[in-house]
Amino acid sequence: MRNPLADVPVPILDALIDDDYVRSLVVGVVGTLGALGLLGVAFPDSIAGDLAGIVFSTGTAASTARLAAPIVLAGLGGIFAEKSGVINIGLEGLLIISAFASVYIASVIGSGNALLGVPAIWVGFLAGIVASTLLAGVFAVVCIEFKADQIIAGLAVWLIALGLAPFMSTVFFGGVNTPNLGASVGWRYSAAMVVVATAASWWTLNRTAFGKHLRASGENPKALDTVGVSVSRVRYAGVLLSGVLSGVGGSALALSIGQFVGSGETMVQGKGFIAIVAYLFGNYNPLGTLGAGVLFAGLDATQIRLQQLGYAIPDTLVQTIPYVVVIVVLALVGRTRIPAAAGDHYETEE
Amino acid sequence: MSRRDGGRLPGPVRRVLEPFVDRTVAERVLISLAAILLSIAVGFVIVLVSGRIAECSAAAWTMPVTGLGFCYDPFQVYAVLFNGALGYPLAIGEPGVFNPGWTPFNLSFGLTLSETTLLIFTGLSVAVAFRAGLFNIGTQGQLVVGALATALTVLALAPLLPAGPVSGVVLVAVGTFAGAVGGGLWGAIPGALKAYADANEVITTIMLNFVAANVAYVLVLEVFRAEGSSVVATRYVPEHAQFSSWLFPGSSDFALLALAVGVGFIGALYYLVEHTSFGYDLRTSGVQAAAAEYGGVNAKLTTVRAMTLSGALGGVGGAVWVLMSEGRWIASVPDLGFDGITVSILAGNNPLGVLPAAFLFGILKGGALEIGFRTDVPTELVGVLRGLIILFVAMPEFFRMAGRYAGLRSGGPGGSGGSEANADDADGGDDGATGAAVAATEGGEADA
Repeated sequence: MRNPLADVPVPILDALIDDDYVRSLVVGVVGTLGALGLLGVAFPDSIAGDLAGIVFSTGTAASTARLAAPIVLAGLGGIFAEKSGVINIGLEGLLIISAFASVYIASVIGSGNALLGVPAIWVGFLAGIVASTLLAGVFAVVCIEFKADQIIAGLAVWLIALGLAPFMSTVFFGGVNTPNLGASVGWRYSAAMVVVATAASWWTLNRTAFGKHLRASGENPKALDTVGVSVSRVRYAGVLLSGVLSGVGGSALALSIGQFVGSGETMVQGKGFIAIVAYLFGNYNPLGTLGAGVLFAGLDATQIRLQQLGYAIPDTLVQTIPYVVVIVVLALVGRTRIPAAAGDHYETEE
Repeated sequence: MSRRDGGRLPGPVRRVLEPFVDRTVAERVLISLAAILLSIAVGFVIVLVSGRIAECSAAAWTMPVTGLGFCYDPFQVYAVLFNGALGYPLAIGEPGVFNPGWTPFNLSFGLTLSETTLLIFTGLSVAVAFRAGLFNIGTQGQLVVGALATALTVLALAPLLPAGPVSGVVLVAVGTFAGAVGGGLWGAIPGALKAYADANEVITTIMLNFVAANVAYVLVLEVFRAEGSSVVATRYVPEHAQFSSWLFPGSSDFALLALAVGVGFIGALYYLVEHTSFGYDLRTSGVQAAAAEYGGVNAKLTTVRAMTLSGALGGVGGAVWVLMSEGRWIASVPDLGFDGITVSILAGNNPLGVLPAAFLFGILKGGALEIGFRTDVPTELVGVLRGLIILFVAMPEFFRMAGRYAGLRSGGPGGSGGSEANADDADGGDDGATGAAVAATEGGEADA
């Protein structure tokens, strides 16, 4: 029998731009920005000039980085889970729980203080990652051990977090919104985390044995089992990684503001679902996910700045653009190729 | 079917009872009950732990034996939640068990039934799609669109008709139909995308929820907003075009007629899914799409039809929300569509199960208000319970394992376990109780 995990060498450039999605995404984003820049230079007093000024300003870059962090990081996490064969639709819940836990722990320590030499805000950061990973662990046990329907369990993770975070906030602080810490993590940290996590995810998925196991676990778990690798261990790793990455994203989101907002849909506001869209849009490629996440966040940031400049565009319409784009793309390109065994349970054959 | 009642019961009764005699359905019912009990137990622990962490001047509850004080009283929480949602039929701390002044037509019970009514429609919406193997997360968006269609239609037609009960009936009927059309069209989009472009319906319906909410918001903000309104909302539809709240207080936003319509829909949907050829196509497509295609079912068309029907039900939910609860379209649409997913899952996607499931979630919603009034416990606890119930319902294998384990422990299927079932108080006991319950069925099956 052919070894299903035989190492097929992939030229690095092909792997980087491994499909039409990513290529058209990159061309589209670069092209739009280029055209906008030219227009802006040519007509500095027009709307295009204002737009170019916004898009290329530090303020927009800062808020893009802040808004992109939860989308891209949770999206990367979603790739790991889904590549391993577990569809994690609960990313939103993981973002919510980490956002709350990070602010809570940082405030318990006191934002001016330090624990073992680590500033409170960074201890909070770690706490957020731990909380998210624990919840992802519960999700993993439920899906892998108890063979739960992944979509339903993922929804449950979202609903539990959506109830639990405001509940805890009310217990601790007397309201669904926590007080502001008065200190925050700068946007450059968010940007750095996004870049590092994307590069590391790409490397892990494409250049390591673990990445190969992940892909096999989602495409052909039986083959993986045959070569003696435990499918459930690989899947646990995939889901836990989605917890770790979402934890970074949720903590980065909350700590870049210094507060957890638990009213309505919480401060996460559907970013976990947008993250799913981002990795589907990027066709499970970390680089494509980064591109899609930055695109969505950039649109949102630009829209916020346009409002501030007094352009009367209903912001809700601008916020609708990413969703419509996704529907159109799904309709035109058809289904992104979901790993063959994603959503299925795997029984080890003794 | 069961041999015991096979010959004796008249046909229609048997047809109603059939699904409950079905073993897989019985197992689902047991698992749903076990999930609810386990969620209550976990919620109990959450209340205890947070009651230990929260700060208060005097302990609301002291744990026996240990003497530990807690800020929240977990027994009171559940007493208020379930008793309060019904308007306190049980008299707590009074002589006698029942509250002599209680009538079913009280405000709290009205609020509970109002939620129940709305959740019946959204629960049915999700259940119908599910039976066709489609995961419709978009009921929320379909409800938003349907509600807007209803409000605009009724507002446009009302001036053309003389005010009165006759035109009221016409307006309610036409408005509900408009809601069904609006929701149905919105549901047809992901259906068609799934059937003809192979676009994953989970993703498209999530996206369409956001699109519906945003577009409806902008439409009302820019075009249909009531003059002088401080919130983004349309004008109120005329009083006579709303479901009137007979027997119940008007502030409960509940109408018995709407509940009756909901129950009628349950019966109709059950008949449609189980006893018509369309229902057969639906179910076979859901179970095994390829086999259905081979058997002559047009799977693509069935997909579009199922999503359209599902969307129409969500749209009717929106119509009832406008014509019974709110009286107008307002931007703060409650999460009825998402709750519909939880209702449908708890109901095992069976239309008949939607009624008790919707009632349970109605109680949770109504009880949450009471918890807010009568205790210091944050009402978000109810949201946590909702999530836990879904999580536990999603893992039937856990209960089967627990059942097997309990069966082993008690030395045989259907053995003892009654004592464990009674010990369902704080933690530990719950696994035993649910396990024993499942073990008991397994015992029963072994006998049959």
